[in-house]
Amino acid sequence: MSLAAVQKRNDVPYFGLVYLLLIVAAIVLLSPLLFALSLALQGPTIAPDLLPRDFLHLDWNVFINVFQDEPLILRWIFNSFIVATGVTTGVIISSSLFAYALAYFNFPGKSIFLFVALGSLMVPFEATLISNYLFIAQAGWTNTYQGLILPFIASGFGIFLMRQFFLTLPRDLYDAAMVDGCGRFRYLWLVLVPLSRPAIATLAVYTFLNTWNQFYWPLLVTNATEWRTTQVGITVFRNFEGGAVFNTQMAATLIVMLPTLILLVLGQRQLVSGLTAGAVKG
Amino acid sequence: MRDDVSLSPLSEAASAVKPMASTSARSGTSRRTRELLIALLYCAPALIIFALFTYFPFFRAIFLSLNVTNSAGQPVAFNGVNYYLRVLNLDGSGRVEYLESILTSFKFALMVVPLVIIISIGLALLATVRVRGIRIFRVIFTSSIAISLSSAGLIWALIYNPSTKATTWLVHLLNIPTPSLLGTTSTALPAVAAMTIWAGIGFNFIIALAGIQAIPNEIYESAAIDGAGRWKTFRHITLPLLSPTLLFLIVIGTVGVLQAFTQFHLLIPDSPNTVFVYETYRAFWYDNRYGLASAMSIIIFIILVTLTLIQYRVLERRVHYQ
Repeated sequence: MSLAAVQKRNDVPYFGLVYLLLIVAAIVLLSPLLFALSLALQGPTIAPDLLPRDFLHLDWNVFINVFQDEPLILRWIFNSFIVATGVTTGVIISSSLFAYALAYFNFPGKSIFLFVALGSLMVPFEATLISNYLFIAQAGWTNTYQGLILPFIASGFGIFLMRQFFLTLPRDLYDAAMVDGCGRFRYLWLVLVPLSRPAIATLAVYTFLNTWNQFYWPLLVTNATEWRTTQVGITVFRNFEGGAVFNTQMAATLIVMLPTLILLVLGQRQLVSGLTAGAVKG
Repeated sequence: MRDDVSLSPLSEAASAVKPMASTSARSGTSRRTRELLIALLYCAPALIIFALFTYFPFFRAIFLSLNVTNSAGQPVAFNGVNYYLRVLNLDGSGRVEYLESILTSFKFALMVVPLVIIISIGLALLATVRVRGIRIFRVIFTSSIAISLSSAGLIWALIYNPSTKATTWLVHLLNIPTPSLLGTTSTALPAVAAMTIWAGIGFNFIIALAGIQAIPNEIYESAAIDGAGRWKTFRHITLPLLSPTLLFLIVIGTVGVLQAFTQFHLLIPDSPNTVFVYETYRAFWYDNRYGLASAMSIIIFIILVTLTLIQYRVLERRVHYQ
């Protein structure tokens, strides 16, 4: 808009320059991915070229063979799905309940509740990591789904997002429903949740993506190969292969990228509104 | 987002009944207690998780940082603030490796944050031009947000791997002694920074684009009528109106980059010259020094909180809110 607004309609050299810049930027940004694809398709060589020498004999089978070389990839993807879905569901439920109380109930100490929720955002992951690891290890929860899921099913960001959304909905409706004898939980479930679908979708896409891409925590609380999540799994795979065979390694990396790329394309609107929540308005 | 048509009759009914409802209230205190209990019930799931996995471990980390621990993480002897003095080289031992890694963290942030923001704003400006196919370019510029640091790290590890020959030209250009950018102390950190910039463009681009699109078009139109050129428009309209977005990106970017772990784990795990967060990982994971590592993690907390407050204080004054 900024540049578009000041440009004239028949500005051919200008448009040419813009296109050139757009294309160059796109190629530069995509080049690491193209590099990965190029390496994946060149077969099991230890000295690959930057671009395949023979474009007619590309080894597309690598994307199938990789599942035979490392059958656990499917298990890792399954693990990641369970963990990301579990965390997303948990965050949506706990955030909606908390935000509902904050936005609609009148109770003493409300500001303390809000402080506890937002204060959690000030404590960085690193500061709680060691104690949380010791806790999970002592509880015997290494290599379990609860060890991977439980620490993340409450989110200060989620509570804030849901509360802001609830506050935009008419309060009178709540009061009327209460007078008519509608239970509080019924109101949340039958009225607020359906009305809040945009906010819930935003929180869901954002949480799922973040959880799917987690690396540090799954690295600590899983040590059995079958309990790894995809992000940790593909790096274990690297060590297993000794780093010598590039094609299967890059094929695996590209495969585990697919779910989030699809999510990005399908849920771009939700993701953008999640990421920009609080950003644009300062 | 809200459905005014179907709601309005109900809302009117509500405002009509409201006074009646409040006069029929029971005695104040018991009602307030009841409300508090109900609120507690609704907040319980999140409160329990925050207590167990945020606040308790945070205070436990402070406690552990003041103790010498055994290999199972149990405190065995009170140690006071010795670990903090040790990390910050205030104990006069002259062991500065941790202090240097804090410095490395800041160097890393300085390499990444300004560049990733400048590049992303440039891309966002390009992506606002209304030309055919612009949506595809926007998706491409956003795509790195869907690529995990772990995937990015694996790909860039091979980009820097001498046998793929992707960086041979750069090695020759810089005339460094080893064939690997990651294996040379002077180039390892910039190499990791380049990967981090690439991985961060998606997020910064989205935020910058949303910020630019939030600027009302009329301002540009009146600037165009007044004869302002592209650079003047950018310098005097886009940039000031974008400053809240910039502040957000600088704060979020600095906090995020100072916590970077994955790329160091995948690209330069054995480097003696690494960031503070990775030194913390080594102290606790390989050396089982839970007390020392806890002290380091509390120092990370203090650095991040202080930095965020300073950035808000200093930069806030220069931010132009609409």
